[in-house]
Amino acid sequence: MRFLRIAATGCVLAAAGAAVACGESLGGARTTVEGGKYTVAYTTSPAPIVVGQHFSLDLAVCAKGGVPAPQSVRIDASMPEHRHGMNYRASITSPRAGVFRAEGLLFHMPGRWDLTFDVVADGATQRLTSTLRVE
Amino acid sequence: MASARQLAAIALVAAAVPAIAQAPPPVTFTDAEVRRILSLGPWPPPPVVDPSNRVSGKAEAIAFGTRLFADPRLSTNGAIACTTCHQPGRAFTDGLPRAQGLARVDRNTPTVNDVGGQRWYGWDGAHDNLWAQSLRPLVDPREMGDGVAHVAAAVRTHGDLRERYVAVFGRPPPADDEVVAVDVAKALAAYQEVLATPRTPFDDFRDALARGDAAAMARYPQAAQRGLKTFVGAGNCTACHLGPRFTNGEFHDIGIPFFVEPGRVDPGRHAGIRRLGASRHTLTGPFNDDPVRAPGTSTRHVSLEHRNYGEFKVPGLRNVARTAPYMHNGSLATLRDVVRHYSDLPEDRLHADGERILKPLGLDRYGIDDLVAFLETLSAPLPRP
Repeated sequence: MRFLRIAATGCVLAAAGAAVACGESLGGARTTVEGGKYTVAYTTSPAPIVVGQHFSLDLAVCAKGGVPAPQSVRIDASMPEHRHGMNYRASITSPRAGVFRAEGLLFHMPGRWDLTFDVVADGATQRLTSTLRVE
Repeated sequence: MASARQLAAIALVAAAVPAIAQAPPPVTFTDAEVRRILSLGPWPPPPVVDPSNRVSGKAEAIAFGTRLFADPRLSTNGAIACTTCHQPGRAFTDGLPRAQGLARVDRNTPTVNDVGGQRWYGWDGAHDNLWAQSLRPLVDPREMGDGVAHVAAAVRTHGDLRERYVAVFGRPPPADDEVVAVDVAKALAAYQEVLATPRTPFDDFRDALARGDAAAMARYPQAAQRGLKTFVGAGNCTACHLGPRFTNGEFHDIGIPFFVEPGRVDPGRHAGIRRLGASRHTLTGPFNDDPVRAPGTSTRHVSLEHRNYGEFKVPGLRNVARTAPYMHNGSLATLRDVVRHYSDLPEDRLHADGERILKPLGLDRYGIDDLVAFLETLSAPLPRP
């Protein structure tokens, strides 16, 4: 079952500047999502994601100029065409500042999934969304 | 392996091989449909070994489990065995809408074929491993028993059971009834893990498609090919019935009423998650034999949601023609009834929590015939008498 990256809210591919550097430590083929204040870069394990099997995410959250560093991140996913979410809640750890690991995610149906990253810093939250299609 | 586009072209050619003047148009598959067909195999899968069960895969445990499965001494009235409901001659089902043990239970008896290696067990997924699922009927007063004490006493007092227990577990039955009962369940699980359905006509078609063997593909009935096209195409059945087992292993509300009787409902998955959380017999509990507890990911992350109310597990479809009646409450007698249900879905009974997964298939009677013909090819032909 193949995992196709079709879009990400904002921008899919790292283009230039800080976005290119964000998540370099993750290694492997990473997806980059641009928001107004933050850039999120992530890899999945396994890659590609397999429908019906748990996967984990390693991600880096990079603050843009003058923006507070991220304190935490919440990760969830939903199928907008079906109007339901996952049957599992991701657990998130942070091995070092700005780097997070999410475990326990599972896409239980093929189709479009919106993977959301809620980046929290100084009491404010910015949501970044990466849209995936899994088959 | 040939590309999906090449295979789609072969699929068209294969359908035309036996062409005769009055034959219906040949079945063609799109690239996406070919990919979905290929994802429904190969079959059989590799043998399952459960790291949470220290006797999984061991020949002596499988032999012990085989005997226990048919042994009525495990029930409190000495008359009911696992085989009372899971009858080997009926594809390990009983043919009844709702199972009958010491009392009538609320749900249909699921087959135990292909039961190894699943993420959740039971219509409500209240168990995350096969040995816990195997223990449940032994201690359920509606099915076989009233607790672990009777199971442990049966093993301690019947010499043949005690002897085999010692051979499998390497020690006499300990004083703790729960430990003995869980061990019995682990032997039962070891047996059930080896119950696999054989290859089917669909598997032959799928493998022929994978290797581009047009002549072999042409032996698959045209009606089944049309039904398969509906299954992987417009019908979108593979949204839930996916992979070689034909299930995503999760839970959905498909519009089957969940009233057991007037005034009493079966909460399905919602109650299953709550029971899971209250159980000691999970992959996160003390009876998991895997020292690293690796398989417990699903249990540690499962999320209880209001929409789980009235959801039931998506059953696998292998051998489905042999496991009537259907649905969690056995309310649909035949495969044709099941296809009609999906064809005429009562949309007003769906989407209570806003889900928009299912849409009526709107099949005419020929389309229903075709989908039934496909589903029947998911069972191996019965041996001729």
